[in-house]
Amino acid sequence: MTVATRFKSGRTGPGDAYVTDHSGSPHARFMRLTSYALVPLGMLSAWWILGLAGKSLEGVRAEIGRPIPALMLLAFGVIGMIHARRGMDDIIEDYVHDKALKAQAIVANTWASRVIAAIWVFAILLIAAPK
Amino acid sequence: MADADTDRLAARRPLSPHLTVFKPILTMMMSIAHRITGAGLYVGMALLALFLLGAAIGGGAFSAVSWIASGFIGNVLVLMVVWAIFHHLLGGVRHALWDRGLYMDAKGRELLAQGTLVGGVLLTLLVFIFKTLAS
Repeated sequence: MTVATRFKSGRTGPGDAYVTDHSGSPHARFMRLTSYALVPLGMLSAWWILGLAGKSLEGVRAEIGRPIPALMLLAFGVIGMIHARRGMDDIIEDYVHDKALKAQAIVANTWASRVIAAIWVFAILLIAAPK
Repeated sequence: MADADTDRLAARRPLSPHLTVFKPILTMMMSIAHRITGAGLYVGMALLALFLLGAAIGGGAFSAVSWIASGFIGNVLVLMVVWAIFHHLLGGVRHALWDRGLYMDAKGRELLAQGTLVGGVLLTLLVFIFKTLAS
């Protein structure tokens, strides 16, 4: 990454708090960029997810079947799981110290997050796509 | 050999953060809560994905997954996911402010920690109340 970070550290001046090579941390920036999208998507999705509680099958389909909730929940699921994968990588790197196990956990996380996002997208498309 | 020795020594060494000896303070708790809500949302998204798949297929598939969002367990689960979204979101806003060097003094970070805790619960309550009124 050669793009200079816009973030300023509170202590040491622009960029220095991020990494030692002054190129900005791609990981930290990635988490932040996805989180910007997830702020509006998360608030809207929280509203619609709460609306799923206690609904019948028809009720759920009606809630998810409208175009705006369907599109927003789709985006939330995809961007959310991209963000969640990197976050879970952090957790694995922090707590799993066995090298082989760590490598396996990272691969498992990569695929688990992809499968969750794929099911999420597939299900919403099945419900909301015009027949 | 050297590697094995280092690994064995490293395994015996205590790891920071020393959660058992630190005095629990609010900013630390909110940092832990940020991670827990993040991991929780991972699981929550997996469960909701199954719920949506069941709803997409319908019939027996829906009855098999309907516990995720209805009944006592389902209601609690959905409410926890919504709270986790708001708590994690506010935790992220806190980090965005810190990135810009804002609220980094003792008073500021305490305020943000309190704001995350209270705000997450408050937003969940607000959405719950409005949703109940709307339906």
